[in-house]
Amino acid sequence: MQKVLEVFPGAQRALFRKYHIGGCSSCGFQPDETLSGVCERNGELPVAEVLEQIRQSHDEDARVLIEPSDLAKLRGKEADVRLVDIRSREEFEAVQIDGSSMLTQELMQEILGSWNNDQSFVIVDHLGGKCLDAAAYYIGHGMPNVRALRGGIDAWSLEIDSSIRRYTLN
Amino acid sequence: MNDELQKKVADAIRNPKNIGEMSDADSVGTVGNSECGEMLRMWVKYREQDDEKVIDRATFQSFGCETAIAVASLATELIRGKTADEAMEMKPEELSGELGPLPPMKIHCAELVQGALRAALSPEDHALGQAAASSDTKPGERVPTLQDSLNEGQAKSGGLNVRFLEE
Repeated sequence: MQKVLEVFPGAQRALFRKYHIGGCSSCGFQPDETLSGVCERNGELPVAEVLEQIRQSHDEDARVLIEPSDLAKLRGKEADVRLVDIRSREEFEAVQIDGSSMLTQELMQEILGSWNNDQSFVIVDHLGGKCLDAAAYYIGHGMPNVRALRGGIDAWSLEIDSSIRRYTLN
Repeated sequence: MNDELQKKVADAIRNPKNIGEMSDADSVGTVGNSECGEMLRMWVKYREQDDEKVIDRATFQSFGCETAIAVASLATELIRGKTADEAMEMKPEELSGELGPLPPMKIHCAELVQGALRAALSPEDHALGQAAASSDTKPGERVPTLQDSLNEGQAKSGGLNVRFLEE
């Protein structure tokens, strides 16, 4: 499974969402297990089908990501695209993309309770490592037009707006 | 998951009922661990009816899979008007309601909902906030929410130092 995860970084998310495997200790897998072994102890899932699901999810991940340059163009064309920043308050207050909103509990409820399911919005994190999980969460709630900023605000700073200072956390 | 169940889950996910925190809840129950991506929290509000305390409404938040969200959505509808004891007696397959029988690998999803419901309905947890006492939350601190799962950084709020690279 370690190798599966190296080739398909989103494999665990795909397995959990589709088959409820790998989400918690009760359904987790070990890095030295084989995919066929995991499939066998989870209701003898067909390995080929599961692998195809992982591949599809991998491709879908790529489609969920949006390049910084494409987001810049999109913001120019679609005024109503929202940016939801999932970083910490400290990070958000230090640097932010103009017009973005920090994800608070209130915003979380607003998104799920009040936003149109077709609303376009983009998840922003620091380096792009967590935004896909957040986007997958909203997609799982029936919001298909959520995207995840590739490389996070760091890539935005490097490629679009150098006035946004890059940072590390310690 | 067969196509029919997949469609029912998709339908339930498309328009989930009763999502979100309930500020005036009488009780709250949490199961799972937000760090592993599987957690479900339920809030319950009671009302008096014919000298009995029945469930007026229930809401939930989940960071679980689609099936857990779908089951929680259905369950929060099904338990309305029931007493705590009646709701506690409901089995996972009853809570999954119109989704019908779940395949073995998905039963855990319904059990997750049942666990959260029982945590919310068990008498010792009826006072709001007591459910959180079983977690590692210190008194006076905000109970961790699923938003914290989405935003690990915010859970650490207060302990982060941002250092600009060019400095």
